[in-house]
Amino acid sequence: MLSGYDLALDYRTGGSVAHAVDNVNLAVDQGSFVGLIGPSGSGKSSLMYLLSGLKRPTRGSVTFEGRDYHGIPAGGLMRLRRQRFGFVFQQHFLINYLSALENVMVGAVRRNHEVAAYGQELLRRVGLGNKLEKRPYQLSIGERQRVAVARALVHNPAVVFADEPTASLDQATGREVINLLADYRARGEGSLVVVTHDPAMLTGADRVLQMRDGKLSAA
Amino acid sequence: MGNPLSLWHFYFRNKRKVLPVIGILALAILGVVVTDSLLASARETAYATYGSYQKLILIAPRATRDQDLANPLQDSLAQLHEVQLQVDVLDGPGGLSSYYAAVTAIPARIQAQLPAMARLQTDAANARYYAARLRGDLVPLGDLIVRVQRLQSEEKAFEQLVQQLAQNPNDPRPLLTYLQQHQTLLRTVLPDSAQLGRLQAAVTSASSDAAGLQQSLQAMSRDTANLNSAGSNVADLPIPPSPSATIDQFKVALDHLTASLGSIQSPQPGLEKLVADSARIPGTAFVKRDAYSNLDINMLAGQAQFDLYGFDQPGMAQLLALYGDRVAVGRLPRADANEIAISEEIARSRQVWIGGKLGNNVDELDRLPDAFTVVGIIRGPTRIGLIPLDYMTEHYLFERRYQGLVVVPQTGHEQAVHDQLQALIGDSAFRLFDWSYIKAKIDSLIANLDVINRFLILLVTIVLALVVGLLNNLFFRQRMNEFGLLAAVGYSRWGLILRVVWESLGVTLASWLIGVGLGVAVLSWFNISFIVPHGLLMNVFDWNVLLLHTLPIPLMVFLFGMGTVGWQLLRLDPISIIERRD
Repeated sequence: MLSGYDLALDYRTGGSVAHAVDNVNLAVDQGSFVGLIGPSGSGKSSLMYLLSGLKRPTRGSVTFEGRDYHGIPAGGLMRLRRQRFGFVFQQHFLINYLSALENVMVGAVRRNHEVAAYGQELLRRVGLGNKLEKRPYQLSIGERQRVAVARALVHNPAVVFADEPTASLDQATGREVINLLADYRARGEGSLVVVTHDPAMLTGADRVLQMRDGKLSAA
Repeated sequence: MGNPLSLWHFYFRNKRKVLPVIGILALAILGVVVTDSLLASARETAYATYGSYQKLILIAPRATRDQDLANPLQDSLAQLHEVQLQVDVLDGPGGLSSYYAAVTAIPARIQAQLPAMARLQTDAANARYYAARLRGDLVPLGDLIVRVQRLQSEEKAFEQLVQQLAQNPNDPRPLLTYLQQHQTLLRTVLPDSAQLGRLQAAVTSASSDAAGLQQSLQAMSRDTANLNSAGSNVADLPIPPSPSATIDQFKVALDHLTASLGSIQSPQPGLEKLVADSARIPGTAFVKRDAYSNLDINMLAGQAQFDLYGFDQPGMAQLLALYGDRVAVGRLPRADANEIAISEEIARSRQVWIGGKLGNNVDELDRLPDAFTVVGIIRGPTRIGLIPLDYMTEHYLFERRYQGLVVVPQTGHEQAVHDQLQALIGDSAFRLFDWSYIKAKIDSLIANLDVINRFLILLVTIVLALVVGLLNNLFFRQRMNEFGLLAAVGYSRWGLILRVVWESLGVTLASWLIGVGLGVAVLSWFNISFIVPHGLLMNVFDWNVLLLHTLPIPLMVFLFGMGTVGWQLLRLDPISIIERRD
């Protein structure tokens, strides 16, 4: 469903070239849970940016449902991210002046009563059913990240990309967040690509791949 | 569930940040509306105050009253000095008193022998009587000398003031000191009409007394000659002074004085001819002699002189008909009465109504002498003030000298009549005032205020654009995560820019509407409580002011704010925001 072929991403800094992603081949099957682990600077986040269309590769290609990103203009990639992908980042990036439910609805593609009800259902599932109207500053860090997970899922994305979603959380809370994402995958609603430096968070993954110096290998 | 990114959510949830910006902008716009409207009010009121010039041309003596009085007064002063010298000669050593003493000292024995001596004594007594009267006649003339001397000292003080102001134009203190010290004195310097009348009576009396004195002295000479030829036994009888030459010089001096005093109260030479010639200009509707005067009124941007027309009765009706005005309350002034009819706005400005008084006795800045009773209130499109011509010229001798004329051109002939009048006047003692002249004067006065006002608006606009632009930027930086996230999850860049445009547009538009609304409210209150009661004019709904003059502020603020924020949004890199670890 989502594949990368001979992917490379180079950064030019001064006269030298840094290979953030170096000749990577990867396929994420529908409904699968793929974990990417590696130390800081190994290129795992860069690979995620390439797969999600946030960055264009220096070389190689990415296809999603058979369409090569090369053939999709910038606007098309935006729509793809907006409609088919979900994102969870290390920081929650919640909008401060919106309630928990409204923040979830920021991720919705269509806004109607059904979607709003689904947003509420998601917040209930992540344990925030009684905090729908709370503002981000009224929630704990873990609660905020759970709202961010609900926001990533509200439009039923085909692939959820999670980039270090537990890095700023304690172990237990991090585990809860991963479980929420895994649960989404388990219900067959989408694939999951999780980037982390903590192998403990990938215990339920179908495949765990190791990134080191931009290269990919099986963990 | 609505769109959480709707403008409503943004404004409502960020009201503590948005409202102060709206408040600042609205207050600035309110300030612009008020200052601009007051300026427009000053201009409109000035136009309305002198609106009567739109259909007529006033021809008035070129010299002002004060300038024109100076020369006759100086002449009169010189003649008075001459008269006083002659009186001193007549009454001095070897003069009338010493001769009278010599005559009365002749022994009674001799006087009894000569019947002619009795006549001589009678004539000498008459001469003393006339001389005493003459001294009495000179008392008011002396008062005039004192007044003119005061005028001269005032001129010196004024010259000093001019020099001080020229050296240091920005220091108003010398002017204030001068005005405080000399205000009362100035009022006493120029003679009024009653004093001038008394002076003229004194001159007439002095003239007839001088003639009586001359006759008495001539009789004394004849008596003395008769006595000298009749008897050598009165050899010690002194020779009387020969008075004829002295008296003749005295009478010449009096004639000069009479002439110079008379010139003060005569019309300017050439007035009659000018009236007649003006009436013959083709395209002239009518011509009227005008003993014009002025009332002091408040014009918001300072005091002004409202022109009164001193017409005869038919002229008053013609002037009202010309402008479509009418007497709404009371009546027009009667002939030869100290009465006045004025427009309602002027009456409000001066806080008077029927029965009220106007004039120099009420307000020292009025150019209307004494006190006139308001007998008529005029309503209509043009502000007019009317006083009777004959009362002005018969009761105020100076006003005869400052008579002018009003020429009303027929519609379509204004320029032709103006040009011909200008040619007719040439270099004479008259000058011409018409609407284009008056309007240019008003515009030049307002122009300075206009420049200051525009500069202030520009300054306010720039400062506000910078301040609000910076606030916008600060606010935007606080929301960087929001825009980074939205860009990362697939919201389009232009969509985000459009969102910020709407947010900013909403704030500036709301500020504009609130500012203009507040402006209208403040102006309406000011109009009702001050402008209308004082006879001033203000257009509360001047769309030129409300819309065009206030628009630069929200526009500049919007453009500057959007320019900086839009530029940052275009360059926004969502990955750098996502990877930020703060």
